[in-house]
Amino acid sequence: MCRVVGYLGRPLLLDSVLFATDSSLARQTYSPRMMATFLNLAGFGMAAWNDGSERPEEPFLYKVTSLPVFDRNLKCLAEKVSARCVIAHVRGVTYSEHEVLMQTNLHPFRFPGVKVTLAHNGHLREFARMRFDLVGHVHPTFVKHIEGTTDSEWIYALLLSQLDDPFGTPSADEIADGIVRTLRIVREIRQKHEIATSSPVNLFASTGTCLVATRFSFDYGWYPEGDAMLETDLPYVSLWYTLGEEYRERDGEWQMGASDHPESLLIASEPLTADTSRWLEAPEYSILTASLQNGGVDALIADLDV
Amino acid sequence: MSETLADDRAAFLAGVPLFAGIPVNELEEVARVMAAVELEPGDVLFGQGEEADGLHVLERGLVQACRRLPGESELEYARLGPGDVLGEIPLLDGGLRSGTVRALEPTTALLLARPDFTALVSRLHPTAFAIKRQILRLASSRLRITHARLGELLGGVAPAAPGGEKPRDADPEDLPEGRLPDPAYVLRLPFFRSFGQPEFTQLVESSRLAVVSAGCAILSEGTPATTCYVTLNGAVEEVIRRGDESVRVRLCGPGWACGYAGLIDGQASSLSVVTRERALLLAVPAGRFDTLFNGGTISSYAFFNAIEHDLMTALRQAQAPHARLAARASPSPRRS
Repeated sequence: MCRVVGYLGRPLLLDSVLFATDSSLARQTYSPRMMATFLNLAGFGMAAWNDGSERPEEPFLYKVTSLPVFDRNLKCLAEKVSARCVIAHVRGVTYSEHEVLMQTNLHPFRFPGVKVTLAHNGHLREFARMRFDLVGHVHPTFVKHIEGTTDSEWIYALLLSQLDDPFGTPSADEIADGIVRTLRIVREIRQKHEIATSSPVNLFASTGTCLVATRFSFDYGWYPEGDAMLETDLPYVSLWYTLGEEYRERDGEWQMGASDHPESLLIASEPLTADTSRWLEAPEYSILTASLQNGGVDALIADLDV
Repeated sequence: MSETLADDRAAFLAGVPLFAGIPVNELEEVARVMAAVELEPGDVLFGQGEEADGLHVLERGLVQACRRLPGESELEYARLGPGDVLGEIPLLDGGLRSGTVRALEPTTALLLARPDFTALVSRLHPTAFAIKRQILRLASSRLRITHARLGELLGGVAPAAPGGEKPRDADPEDLPEGRLPDPAYVLRLPFFRSFGQPEFTQLVESSRLAVVSAGCAILSEGTPATTCYVTLNGAVEEVIRRGDESVRVRLCGPGWACGYAGLIDGQASSLSVVTRERALLLAVPAGRFDTLFNGGTISSYAFFNAIEHDLMTALRQAQAPHARLAARASPSPRRS
């Protein structure tokens, strides 16, 4: 499992989501509050879009296999750089010599020439049995860009291949439709191979002007025999959000300011503060779409029934 | 505390529904450990997010209970007066206060602190278990109120079968029988954590294992409950439907139970229960549920504790869709 944060809205200092709060993403590497018996120690990645930067439609990417809490460079950057859109991810993998810790396995993924960036919280069980069947659904251009060993990068390549114009700038709805098609293909291949164990697929996708997130799992509630990670796997993988004027510290508390016309949206695997009362839990089997529109953020939650 | 004051408090408590049926002389022991808290209008009895220290019974006055919403707004979700009880859930479950309670009039609240109540429970004091059962009945009632409010927020009227016929829910006896998973797996599930192998075996022998496909209605809103279902694999969802709108109140994955609220309070179901994933369910019939819920054996205590934990969790989880709907971010129709 992993932890992910997505942000869209008013320019926000990266420190606000990465370090400043009492349940920041950096802290969630070694002390996630909503994930029992599991830590996210396999690296950090981030894509952030800044209007004042060169080519603002392109994010700057930062990936490192060390932990953000020990990353002085990241901390210095986070205190100086703000962004209108962010996807940041800390990777968690099972404690095994079979896991591959390298930069090409870090999220979010972004292939050359495309606008869509993706991070994944979850895992497709028995992915090795599915990979060959996925090839036929992935555009050859994207197959050759796959550098890592993760199921997540294949999901990303599959998603890009489902978009009408994978090199264009799709809207939030077009990305959401692409995600639905992607999940349907994955379900079909799982059925073909009779894979019927719980496989969470919480996705965070963005072009820098929109943000799409899913809270979803295939075959939730079914686990392989002798699942050593059962206590971690039992709960439905979490997703929270807070929507409002601006995310900042008020009277010692980090919170989103109230607004009838929201200008900022934070989505996270778990709230960035120990006090969760300012956050809402996204329903299970749902997809959240958000776009920058008329100076604000237009957000919608829909059921995701694949 | 003087004997007279303890007698007066016990007499007052006897009139509080939470303590109904408990003899006054047994309530005197409870009354002696309760502390009075005096509030003026505007005073906060406790704040949202604070560590819960126990249960309050309002002796006089009027208070409002509010919950913060994202942003700086607040939602008032209840007003309570003499005889009403606050914090019965944290008395059993601990945790943080889910709302802020503020006095609207001069108010006296009687506090039953968690350590004092825990001491009664640890002595297996019958009054403590009688109070616990009453709290669970009250919790069922609170859950119904929350469900009713969710229905109101959705708008429309509760679903009714054409011609007033009773909806056809799956009968556990008609469902394909399932195979018992490895007990080592089952005993790691939340519902069974206070069970030993003998208690679990007894429960399975008096229940039915049913395999249910996804999308199967096992209990419809407005119908009487006949079975408590515990999910062993897969997932069941509790849903409220109004017209074309619906909201999922809770997803019951492995180790969580549903359908039992009506078995506790005798009322019809306040929501519908449908399998979201194909599921393996342990169906505990009403008679067996009643025996275990009200019994005094080790098996009974294990089962009672499991239901208590499940109901407390259900109450907390019911706040999530409420807050979402109140914040006007309700789910739209299905995408596919």
